[in-house]
Amino acid sequence: MSIRTWGIVGTGPSGRGIAQLVATQGLEVIMLGQSPDELEQARRLIELSLQHEIERWAITESEKRAIMARIAMTTDMTEMAKADFVIATLVTDIDQDKEIFRTLDQVCRREVILASNTSTLSITEMASATNRPDRVIGCHFLQPIPRTKVVQVVRGLKTSDETVAEVMALMERLGRTGVEVFESPGYITTRLIIPLINEACQVLMEGVASAEDIDTAMRLGFEMPRGPLEIADRIGLDTVLVMAERLWREYGDMKYRPAPILKKLVRAGHLGVETGEGFFKYDADGDRIKNGRAGR
Amino acid sequence: MKILVLNCGSSSIKYQLLDMETESVLAIGKVERVGMEDAIFEYKGAGEKIKEIGTILDHTAGVRKVLKALTDPVHGVIKAPEEIAAVGHRVVHGGEAFVSSVIIDDEVKRTLRELFDLAPLHNPANLTGILAAEAALPHAPGVAVFDTAFHATMPRKAFLYALPYVMYKRHKVRRYGFHGTSHKYVSQRAAAILGRPVEEVNVITCHLGNGSSVTAVQGGKSVDTSMGFTPLAGLIMGTRSGDLDPGVIPYIMAREEIGISEVNSMLNKHSGMLGISGISSDLRQIEEEMDKGDPRAIETFAMMEYRLRKYIGAYAAVLGRVDAIVFTGGIGENSPRFRQAVCENLGFLGVTFDAEANKCRGEERIISGPDSKVAVMVIPTNEELMIARETAELVAGR
Repeated sequence: MSIRTWGIVGTGPSGRGIAQLVATQGLEVIMLGQSPDELEQARRLIELSLQHEIERWAITESEKRAIMARIAMTTDMTEMAKADFVIATLVTDIDQDKEIFRTLDQVCRREVILASNTSTLSITEMASATNRPDRVIGCHFLQPIPRTKVVQVVRGLKTSDETVAEVMALMERLGRTGVEVFESPGYITTRLIIPLINEACQVLMEGVASAEDIDTAMRLGFEMPRGPLEIADRIGLDTVLVMAERLWREYGDMKYRPAPILKKLVRAGHLGVETGEGFFKYDADGDRIKNGRAGR
Repeated sequence: MKILVLNCGSSSIKYQLLDMETESVLAIGKVERVGMEDAIFEYKGAGEKIKEIGTILDHTAGVRKVLKALTDPVHGVIKAPEEIAAVGHRVVHGGEAFVSSVIIDDEVKRTLRELFDLAPLHNPANLTGILAAEAALPHAPGVAVFDTAFHATMPRKAFLYALPYVMYKRHKVRRYGFHGTSHKYVSQRAAAILGRPVEEVNVITCHLGNGSSVTAVQGGKSVDTSMGFTPLAGLIMGTRSGDLDPGVIPYIMAREEIGISEVNSMLNKHSGMLGISGISSDLRQIEEEMDKGDPRAIETFAMMEYRLRKYIGAYAAVLGRVDAIVFTGGIGENSPRFRQAVCENLGFLGVTFDAEANKCRGEERIISGPDSKVAVMVIPTNEELMIARETAELVAGR
């Protein structure tokens, strides 16, 4: 089976990121949104993101036009019947997601794989809403999706080996490396990065070192492109807080309990890059402002 | 003998059917957007040109569609696909494994796969085309004609880079050169025009198009060429930088905070004529802006001419004696202004210039003066004919 057209449900950051990645790799996209306005907004944001790619020399103006031409937008769920692979990115709560999967199961051809980008909700539970639990799988792309090279491919209880193999090949087609994980809260990446960020917050609160020095030590000491606190700013501190609370609830282990400074910053509206300030300050392009100057 | 020539890209098929008795084109066309529901099929055979839009799911379906048109009672030029004696495929990279055209068998296909790393954009598509032709025309042998093969005669001192030798041993990093089929064709034509055996003639061939390269041809053999390990080296091209201090690359990567794929894109797609001028990657538009006095257009043109002239000077030194300089490719065939700018500066080689003869586009002609020590020629290239000739030759000799 050759997959040429991706169906993407949802126009949030994940939906847009996946659409941009897939279309950039020469495949077609059908993006499902709830209203024409929402879709128009998504189109504008993808264009803006591609404009940034031009500015960093990654693509040309005509490639941008070709990429945009590969992204079709619709509010009609039945259009998903044309897709060879569908990924749902509208992660809200499990009941809504099950409803989406139930509908997709009716609309899409029998052999089409239905995927979810969730990092926290249960694939097995979503699969239970369909008549094809063997063809339901998780594909967790990490932000920023157009650049991050790894995808966690998540097996639900009934996901077949064949489905996993096909999705692994699909990720390779996108120039991504798939890592196989079994359903478990936080998978690999969230589960490992949250305690690191949390511990960095503790070090900061205890006055052991400044935010700048914590990040510098980790960057240079372990060859990380960014330190844990800047990583947190880029994920969004509100998201970090939610993820930490969820892991704490799931595992009941104190190492996941969110540091008070994280809550304090979120309450102050300092959410990181998105609001221009978190542990550090950022300009409109998302570049760090250092001693009043832009750049890292 | 009728030969089908295919040039397959990842989503395109360019094709020509040639009759080798007369070396004439029976039909010509292309398929674009292969794999899509709105693929474009173009065909010109007997009668009017045909253009259709419809579903063509893969290259095999595309080749089948071509065969259907070729055998069509109205537009067709042959009665049955069996009339096609062989299929000639343009293949971009032959690496060190292929130094001339070959009849395709399983071993050849296996080796082609091993070469994917050297030309990741082109070779996989070329192989797809080969497999499609085998499926659609099981009776017809296939021949692979390589863009690199003509340059296989370069001496080691010309193709090795002064990198640690293990880079050559380990990764086959060396100069390969491209546009070989074109350089070969026009250098043979040049000898024919001079009325001398190809073995006795030294030619500098300038293939100037969207991609450009210049080759020193000694007695019919390529001894050096401006493109290198990739088609990025050498002349200033539409969007490619050509030669560059390699030290610039890590510096730019650090200052712009970009990675390998971005810097590759910068050098291949944002540089060259387009990058310097900020106007276009098309010389026609640059010339239009020059007429209006645009200083960046004038400078771009001057840089391009200068770069080519440096190569001609270098290759004159390589060859020792130059009998002819050939212009070919989109720019070489169609820009009298560019040819004139280059030739006017070649007095040291004894080149004199016939400005009147130079006023031609797309036709074979000598544009140097009668007293010129070096014949300067415009020769429209014909890679398809060259591919068909090599295919016919190999198949006949089987």
